[in-house]
Amino acid sequence: MDMVLETDQLGKRYGGNWALRDCSLHLPAGRVAALVGPNGAGKSTLLHLAVGLLRPDAGTVRIFGESPYANTSILADIGFVAQDTPVYRDFSATELVTMGGKLNERWDATLARTRLAQLGIPPDKPVGRLSGGQRAQVALALALAKRPRLLLLDEPVASLDPLARREFLQSLMGSVAEAGTTVLLSSHLLADLERVCDHVIVLSTARARLSGSVDEIVDGHRQLVGPRHGGEPIRGVAEIVRASHTDRQSTLLVRTNGSINDPAWTVHEVTLEDLILAYLADGDTNTNHEAWGVPA
Amino acid sequence: MIWLTWRQHRKQALFTAIGLAVLAALIIPTGLAMRGTFDRLGLTDCVAKLGTAQLSQTPIGAGTCDAAFREFNGQYRVFGMIGVLFLFLPLVVGLFWGAPLVAREIEQGTHRLVWTQGISRRHWALVKFGMVGAATLVASALYGFGVSWWMTPLSQAGQLTRFDVFYFDMQGLAPIGYTLFAVALGVFAGTVWPKVLPAMAATLAGFVGVRVALTTLARPNYLPAETLTYPVQGAIVQPNTALGDWVLSHGVRDAAGKLVAANAEIMCPPNATGPGASCGADMGVGAGSYNWQLFQPGSRFWAFQGIETGIFLVLVVLLAYFAVRRIRRIS
Repeated sequence: MDMVLETDQLGKRYGGNWALRDCSLHLPAGRVAALVGPNGAGKSTLLHLAVGLLRPDAGTVRIFGESPYANTSILADIGFVAQDTPVYRDFSATELVTMGGKLNERWDATLARTRLAQLGIPPDKPVGRLSGGQRAQVALALALAKRPRLLLLDEPVASLDPLARREFLQSLMGSVAEAGTTVLLSSHLLADLERVCDHVIVLSTARARLSGSVDEIVDGHRQLVGPRHGGEPIRGVAEIVRASHTDRQSTLLVRTNGSINDPAWTVHEVTLEDLILAYLADGDTNTNHEAWGVPA
Repeated sequence: MIWLTWRQHRKQALFTAIGLAVLAALIIPTGLAMRGTFDRLGLTDCVAKLGTAQLSQTPIGAGTCDAAFREFNGQYRVFGMIGVLFLFLPLVVGLFWGAPLVAREIEQGTHRLVWTQGISRRHWALVKFGMVGAATLVASALYGFGVSWWMTPLSQAGQLTRFDVFYFDMQGLAPIGYTLFAVALGVFAGTVWPKVLPAMAATLAGFVGVRVALTTLARPNYLPAETLTYPVQGAIVQPNTALGDWVLSHGVRDAAGKLVAANAEIMCPPNATGPGASCGADMGVGAGSYNWQLFQPGSRFWAFQGIETGIFLVLVVLLAYFAVRRIRRIS
């Protein structure tokens, strides 16, 4: 399988804090991947490393097999929409399309214009005066007009209302499905992306917790309910992701490596959302009672 | 990229053009009026009469030229002061052209849009710096040589010396160096403090600091200063103001060369009587004392302009180099 994005032990540090650490993951071609994690988990850092805005402090990142930092030849194959969909607010949509044509060798202005016309974006109004949803669509149209092989979107729907979110994602999927573009889009809410993605990467406190196709991940996890569990191994369980206990009963979320036939446990399938929440809750939060001067 | 730079900066270009037009509307009519008066009063001949000797026997104010010079200077005295306002124009250009160049992109996040298109940051930076630099060069050259032209009659009439601090700084080549420096400093400040207001504040502080330091500490020493001495008592001679010398310090020294009266000049005719006849004896000015001045000859004006501009151009190149380096590290 062709890998579009590969990272190995990737790390990025700001001062003494690691924004991303020991991140190793693969994204095969043609996937629509959701990059999920709470705010500050390192999602933007990962995307900025992937698009070459940042240079890694540790490990490597490769896009189509090449390092993206200061590499303009790779830039031509990446469409990127940064967080808050920055565009020159005093430019009109038409001018932004013209700008793209001047800055890119491969540029499909017709595609951008057709898209913007279909969406009813006013061509000559400064984009700063458009609604957030319309501006996001303009930014997406600019990214798509590069005819990229990889599309990276950083929280593209964060500022949109639920209706605009759905429209945005629908129009995005419509465009990438035909071209077979690989997409990596981030959000702190899985619910935004669940409908459209077939691959998930979960980041929490600067580390990658989970990465893989949605089907494999869901198949590979089960929820077990049974008598209070004291830590002894269960056949078929590779790892206990999360456990909660009452006096008599334990509920475990586990990663499986075989079928679980132990009659003591009732086995339930899990939804992707439960799973991701479990992994996020597992990511230990860094407490700083000392900095706040309160007792732990 | 050229299209983008023009599109992003056309408003600033328009405002600069308007500013230059206003300046032209101010200095062209007044400059012509000054020249008219200058010719009408016959000051061209008076200036020629002063000659090029370091000490003149007929000081400005002697004979028929006296009234003419006095009339001209009286009429246009205020212009020299208005001119000082022009001193701030390079700084204004630096604040509004230079500081936002990088800082606004980063503040609004648009650097992540433009630096992820198909061109390198180096390319982006070089085209931007090149075009903004060229526009700055043209505007500041128009300003510098326009003000030079405007001030020529004022300098010739002894109203002000073009070599003096302030007047030196707003004519000729020097404003080109200052303006390019202000812009480069603004750009660099924007890469260090990627927000428009802090970048502007840093530009303001940095520009004023460097300018004051160079003007007060470095400029008097670009070339070794010369000294001029002339007697306290005797035939009336005085330094020739038509030469436009830059007097760094002056005073009266006694026979042993010790400075007895700083910032003073004493001239009295031989065998003077009446008030002042003591000829400074009460101040300790004894026999053998002489007037002394340390100065840079007016003939060095363009050499000094060249040196000053050269220093600022070197700073511009350094700042641009470090700005490009920093731009490559910004995320």
